[in-house]
Amino acid sequence: MRLFEYQAKELFQAYAIPVPKSALALDVSAVTEAFNTMGHPVVLKAQVLSGGRGKAGGVVVVGDEAGARREASRIFGLAIGGEKPASILVEESYPHQSELYLSVSLDRGERAFVAIAAAAGGVDVESLSDKVIRRVPLEGIDESFAGEVTTQLGLSGPTAGQFTKILLRLEQLSREKECELAEINPLAVGQDDTLVALDAKVIVDDNALFRHPEFSKLHPEDEFEGEASREGFAFVRLEGDIAVVGNGAGLVLSTLDLVGDAGGKAACFLDLGGGAQQDRIEMALRLVNRLPRVRRILVNIYGGITRTTDVAEGIRTVLSEGPVKPLYARVSGADEDAARRLLEGTQIKLFKTAPEAVAAVVTTS
Amino acid sequence: MMLPKKGDPIIVQNITGKYGRFHTRLMLDYGTNIAAGATPGKGGQIVEGVPVFNKVEEAVERTGAKASILFVPAEFSYAACEEAILAGVRLLVVITEHIPVRDTMRLVQLAGRHDASIIGPNCPGLIVPSAKVKMGIMPATSFAAGNVALFSRSGTLMYEIAGQLTKAGFGQSVALGIGGDPITGTSASECLDFVEGLEETRAIVVVGEIGGDAEERLAAHISKSESKKPVVAYVAGRHAPKEKKLGHAGAIIYGDYGTAATKIAALTKAGVSVAETPMDVPSLIDKALS
Repeated sequence: MRLFEYQAKELFQAYAIPVPKSALALDVSAVTEAFNTMGHPVVLKAQVLSGGRGKAGGVVVVGDEAGARREASRIFGLAIGGEKPASILVEESYPHQSELYLSVSLDRGERAFVAIAAAAGGVDVESLSDKVIRRVPLEGIDESFAGEVTTQLGLSGPTAGQFTKILLRLEQLSREKECELAEINPLAVGQDDTLVALDAKVIVDDNALFRHPEFSKLHPEDEFEGEASREGFAFVRLEGDIAVVGNGAGLVLSTLDLVGDAGGKAACFLDLGGGAQQDRIEMALRLVNRLPRVRRILVNIYGGITRTTDVAEGIRTVLSEGPVKPLYARVSGADEDAARRLLEGTQIKLFKTAPEAVAAVVTTS
Repeated sequence: MMLPKKGDPIIVQNITGKYGRFHTRLMLDYGTNIAAGATPGKGGQIVEGVPVFNKVEEAVERTGAKASILFVPAEFSYAACEEAILAGVRLLVVITEHIPVRDTMRLVQLAGRHDASIIGPNCPGLIVPSAKVKMGIMPATSFAAGNVALFSRSGTLMYEIAGQLTKAGFGQSVALGIGGDPITGTSASECLDFVEGLEETRAIVVVGEIGGDAEERLAAHISKSESKKPVVAYVAGRHAPKEKKLGHAGAIIYGDYGTAATKIAALTKAGVSVAETPMDVPSLIDKALS
C-alpha cells in the first residue's frame, strides 16, 4: 500500500525526519487559508498515488493568494493517471543549495533490503549513476553503518551528522512499519546546511498490514475494490469497457494481454483465486455486472482444482437472476464437455480457446 | 535442491485444515507418499489415512521424511517453516499466500544456514510425473511425464501451459511453481542450474510476469551459462497498467521497473525464444527440440 505524500510526511515527523511546514487542504478555500498562514512562496502539491505528478502539472509554486486560488482550482480539476486529487498539500517552499537522495528499499534479486544514497536528488533513482548501495541487515543498522554510508557519499561538515541521523531514522521507520520502500527524494541541503525531506514516498508491505492496524483506515476505498477485497478477490479497476474475470492471477494477466493485442480495453482485472467454487464465480459476476462502463464480460477459466461444472452452474445461477451484460467465456480443462452442456441454450457465448473468446468480445460492439 | 524420489515420505503441515486435508487426498490419489501430517494440538488424529503429529520433529522421527508441504496461514508460516527446518526437513514447499516479505527474508536466511531449500512462498508447489511425486495443489490431469522442465511464477499459467504441452505430446520432467511474491526461496536461475545436470530434461519453459527483475537476472544468467538446453519463455502482462498490483504481491510495475517489455527484450537478447501467448509455447518447444 502506497501512502499519500502527506501521510508519509506525518510518518517522517513521527520518526523525527525533518519536513517543511505544511498543511493539508481539501478544497480551494482551505488552500488559500493555509497559504496565508505560511511564509511565501508556497508549493501546492496534488495528493495522488499515481506517478508522473510533476509532469502532469500537479506541483506548482505560488507567490500570492490569487495565484494560490487559481492554481488550486486547476489542480483539483486534474486527472493524474486517471486519478483526481482529493487533497492538496500546501507546503512552505524551502530554498536550498543542493539535493540528495536517500532510500531504504527492497532488492528482490538480493532477497534483502538495501540503503541507497546519492549526491543528487529530484530525479528517478534508476537514472542516478553514482550511488552508494549497502545491504541492510534484517535486525537493522547502527550508527557506524550509517556513518560509513555518509562518508562514502562524500559528505562532511554539518550535513554529515544530520544525514547519518536521517538514515538511521529512515531505516528504523522502514523496519518497524514494514515498508517495501521508504524514500526521500529529494533530501534538500538548505542555505544554512540544514537537511529537509522535500518529498516522501512510502510503500507499506500489504502482507504485513495485519501487524499494523494503524494503517487500516488510511485510504478512501473505491466502493467496488472494497467489496472485492472483502470477498477475497484480487481486483483492480481499469479504464476500459470489458470486464476480465478468470481463475489465477497469471491467467487473468495473460487474458488482459490478449484483450489488449486484439485492440480491446479491459474494465477490470478480477482473479477468482485458486480452487474457486460456484459461489465465487456468482459473486464475481454480480460485482462486474454492476461496474460502471462495463459493456461486456469475458470469463477465462482453466479448470483443474476449480471444477468447470461448478463454474457453469454459477454462471447459470447469475443468468437466471436477471439481466446480465453480454457474456463471453472460455471454459477449459477437466469436465469441460459437461460444463458446456450445462451452458447450452443460455445467452453466454462459449469458445474453445481464449484467443477465440477474446476476438469475439473485442469485435462485437 | 533435491527433488523427492518415487515413494519418498512427505509431511503435510496443517494437514487438518480444510485446504491441507483436501490436497492431501489429491496428492495421495496421484501416488505420492504422504507419510505424516503435523498440526500443533491435533496429534493422534488420522486425516485421509495419514497419522497426524503435534510436532514436525515427531513426524520426522517416525517417517524419516526430509520434505514438507505447508498449508499454514501466513501469520504462522515463518514459525512453521522454522520448526520444520530445525526438525531436519530439507525441502519446504510453501503454498501460503500473503506472507510478509520480511518473514520470507528471515526464512530464506535460516534455510541458507541449514542447507534447506524453500519453494515458494505463494506457489502451487512441484510435480514430478515420472516419480508420481506431487507436492502441490496443481491439477494432476494437466501433467504427464516427459522431457520438458517447466518453471512458473504463476500457478494457473503453469497448469494451462502444462496442459497445452501435454496435449502436444511434450510431457514434463518436473514442473515447479517459483511463486508470485517479490522474494522467493528459489529463483528461476536456480531452477535452471538444477535441471542442467538432469538428463531427462531436454528443454526448459519459464513463465514470467511483470514486476521485479527476475527475468532480467535469468537472462543474464543464461547469457553466462554454457548450457545447451533450449529455453522457451512466456511473460504475462504486456498490457498491464503501471503502479497496480495485479493479483500477485510481486506483480507490479513501478515507473519503468518491472515491465514485460524489458523482460522480453532481455530474454530475447539472451537467446531465449519468447512466446507471444501461452498457446504458442508448445510450437516453440517443438522447434527447439527438432
